[in-house]
Amino acid sequence: MPAVKAAPRHRRRSSVAGAVSLLAAGAAWADGAPDTSAWKCEQCPFLEGYSGDVEIGALYAHGANFSYGQYTGIDRSTTYADVAAAGQYRSADGTNASFDLEDLGLASRAGTASVGREGRFDVKVDYDDIPTRLYDTGATPFLGAGGGNLTLPAAWVAAGSTAGMSALAATLAPVNIEYDRRTASLLGTYVASSAWTLHAAFRHEEKDGTGLMSGSFLTQAAQLPQPIDYVTDTVEAGAAWADHRASLHLDYTGSWFKNDIDSLTFTNPYLPLVAGSTQGRLALPPDNNLQQFALAGNLPLNFLATSFTYAASFGSLKQDEAFLPFSTLPGATVPTPAALDGDVHLSHYALGLASHPLPRLSLRGNASYDGRDDHTTPLTLAYVVTDTFPGGSALTTPRYSEDRTRLEGSADYTLDRWVRVGVGGKYLDTHYGPDQLVADTRDTESWVHATLDPLAGLTITLKGGNASRKTSGFIASALPAAENPLVWAFDYAPRDREFFTLTASWQATATLTWSVDGFFANDDYRLSQLGLQSVHERRASTTLTWTPRETLSAYIDGGYQRLDMLQDGFTGAFTAPWQAGDSEHFWNLGGGGQWAVAARWTLALDYLHAPSYGDFNTQVGGLAEPFPQNWSRLDSVRLDLRYQWTRAAQLHLRFIHEKYDSSDWALGDVGPATIPNLLALGVLPLAHDVNLVALTFRYQFGAAASAPPP
Amino acid sequence: MPAPAARAALFIALLAGAMTPAVAADQGAAPAYSAKGADSCLGCHDDPALLSLFKTKHARPQDDRGPFGHGGLQCEACHGPGGAHVRARGKQPAGIVDFGPHALATPARQNAQCLGCHQSNTAHEWAASQHAASEVPCAACHTLHAAHDPVLATATQAEVCTTCHQAEHTDLFKPSHHPLREGKMACTSCHAPHGSQGPFLLVGNTVTETCTRCHAEYRGPFLWEHQPVAEDCSNCHSAHGSAQPALLKTRPPFLCQQCHEGAGHPSVPNGPQGLPGGAPSAYLLAGGCVNCHTQVHGSNHPSGRALMR
Repeated sequence: MPAVKAAPRHRRRSSVAGAVSLLAAGAAWADGAPDTSAWKCEQCPFLEGYSGDVEIGALYAHGANFSYGQYTGIDRSTTYADVAAAGQYRSADGTNASFDLEDLGLASRAGTASVGREGRFDVKVDYDDIPTRLYDTGATPFLGAGGGNLTLPAAWVAAGSTAGMSALAATLAPVNIEYDRRTASLLGTYVASSAWTLHAAFRHEEKDGTGLMSGSFLTQAAQLPQPIDYVTDTVEAGAAWADHRASLHLDYTGSWFKNDIDSLTFTNPYLPLVAGSTQGRLALPPDNNLQQFALAGNLPLNFLATSFTYAASFGSLKQDEAFLPFSTLPGATVPTPAALDGDVHLSHYALGLASHPLPRLSLRGNASYDGRDDHTTPLTLAYVVTDTFPGGSALTTPRYSEDRTRLEGSADYTLDRWVRVGVGGKYLDTHYGPDQLVADTRDTESWVHATLDPLAGLTITLKGGNASRKTSGFIASALPAAENPLVWAFDYAPRDREFFTLTASWQATATLTWSVDGFFANDDYRLSQLGLQSVHERRASTTLTWTPRETLSAYIDGGYQRLDMLQDGFTGAFTAPWQAGDSEHFWNLGGGGQWAVAARWTLALDYLHAPSYGDFNTQVGGLAEPFPQNWSRLDSVRLDLRYQWTRAAQLHLRFIHEKYDSSDWALGDVGPATIPNLLALGVLPLAHDVNLVALTFRYQFGAAASAPPP
Repeated sequence: MPAPAARAALFIALLAGAMTPAVAADQGAAPAYSAKGADSCLGCHDDPALLSLFKTKHARPQDDRGPFGHGGLQCEACHGPGGAHVRARGKQPAGIVDFGPHALATPARQNAQCLGCHQSNTAHEWAASQHAASEVPCAACHTLHAAHDPVLATATQAEVCTTCHQAEHTDLFKPSHHPLREGKMACTSCHAPHGSQGPFLLVGNTVTETCTRCHAEYRGPFLWEHQPVAEDCSNCHSAHGSAQPALLKTRPPFLCQQCHEGAGHPSVPNGPQGLPGGAPSAYLLAGGCVNCHTQVHGSNHPSGRALMR
């Protein structure tokens, strides 16, 4: 984390009037452009030649595991190479090249390199690796983790419950749930003329490793290591035309997702519920492809300082992976047709407007339409329940379509140089296709705001409003047969919302800045008899920064969030209704600073404390049943000490202590055989206690070595 | 559903209506420029931090699109005519446009300088954006004289954005989060701060289109779809951070029971009796509902009706 936060929040001034004069002024300046033939720029230190730096060192992490290695790649206690390099070259004719390589010794390595000619073309290559490290505490008896066929050891003893699996303890082997996302990109830009620019990009992404999924035989299940072997290739190409009157951008995007492992087959670890049900098979994500054409641009008008923006796109999403057989049971066939021929049409149109019809008045509006139209032919299938029970009633696959029309608008008026007021609103009309619980929903939202500058340097913005969602009648026939008709899925359900925000920033002195941000919102699903009833959200944050001089700066920041959810349930006529609540709290408190201790020494320190608490409870017939509290606690201290050895050489010592601990009733004390009908991986709640020390030597070469520091 | 052709016709008609000829701007008296351009400025403004501008794309003499290209107005391209400022030996800053959140120039005035070049390219959707409506100056986010603008680097961008978006700063530290805190993802992976025609300044037209740019395995269309997945990922996930695994809003079974109350196990209350000290329940522990309904994003299995295959 950067040692010193940037100065928070801009100061809003009574500037609407300026907007009109501004555009006029800009035009005047352009028209009154001077003769620049004598502007030699002789003192301009343009980059020429090469420059760069190399960082070489080592870091040692003690106590590192997957919990710390998530996204960092520092996932075990060992020594890692800490290597980075950057450089650039530029010739007088504008030919240039650059590269930037980071974290080469870690699984989170990234790099970029480019070559080009100023104002003519650029070609760039990017590489990025994101390591996802989920759990290193799991174990499974299944053999073949990482592949598409999981079997059990020869000595396996199947049983009706996990307690009876007598060979379990002897056959458990550790399994890591981890995968890497590696992305390589090639991008090019060509400036064809002063108005036209062409661009193209190809991105190849590989995601491979092991995820976590489950396989079930209706009443018995097992957590399984899921093979991940995905490749996504994306092509983007387009042209942009722009001059001072308008702009037009035309783009094509094609994206092809490919999964080389189309299914995960696994041996039933339980005694089969019916004869022959000894193997299960799960479908893995099917290959798909997306093609999209888009145009977008703007049209600025000098008339009333008005500007239009526009966008449109059309595309289709297709999927035609061959179906698996209905079941692993003997005699199961592949359905006809043998693939979905899935085809979803995507469309988007949008117009935006910004205008200043009066010097003190500004108007903004957006209108958009989004369509997701599923043209896939529904299929009617007599499915086999969990590779166990054939002969289920034939069902027709529902297809989901919706289109949304969204209107937004706002008006702001500057009453005086210290106060600006505004009103705004949104309207969202969503039409749902067949097979859904409602035909349409209509969301409306309105708000008012005021921005006050009562003192120099102090800006306060207050905003409050409410929103409401109304729906067409509930279409009970769209509910699955067993579903309770009193439940109204919350994404369709009528909802009332009220919200309020407060933001303030105060530059108290030239060196001291304080900002605060607060938000609350209450959602009430007023017509839902079952399901989600309400969501209450509270947020508050503050930051104080102090920069007494160029060589010293400090900050303190903190935040608190609370989220409360309440939902109702009902099991049947002879049981009491029940209620479940989830109350979550998050805190963060940070502080730190940067100090140039002496001419060659710079010290930076950051501290972070971030706990969270989650309280779940159920209430049956009015009797409260609280769960043990889920919690997490993150404490982190980072120290950076830099010594400028010579003009070109620098030493950097970094120390990080980070401790994270958590409690989770869904994972804690849940071993592989804890649950009678779930053979679990037994992963533990995340925790780490890491001390990391890194020492690196940085050497600058070329022009950078003699240039002023950045 | 309305006919797409009708929508397209309406869109084109509105666009055509918008393309009325521009009215020429009023022309004011042109302020005077300096005599020698950047050489006039650099005589006094020789702070190394300012000179780092010459390591950036804005100082490329062979790029005629930039301020230091052929015929460019150099420093005054952004800061405005400085003739009076030079003649007064710096004592008359009036007319000079300064930049930043605490600058004397208003955000609108600052931004007009930037938009003079960028309103047709990077910022072509700026005018109707929420950031423009909130009068955010470009320089509140961009550090133009720095050799490496922090907001343009994946590793440092989130710190810049959360200077204002402070609630999202707290989100960075939640147990489940996207890799922003670790510097492996930027806010701009999902959001278009210069304007977007999608909701929440998203880079995609919809929430789902944005998420599936990276999570292409969930794009489908699947044989058996899960309606809220096809509609909007944020029905179940909190993209900025969560205390629950996989960025979920709350955890199964409660999340699932917010919509599903069918006869049998979906309607049964799952209380603490189902914890390991009592009668450990597969409905509650480990993955909860997804212990069996593992294909919650959709299934392409012919027998995947209940999202179990």
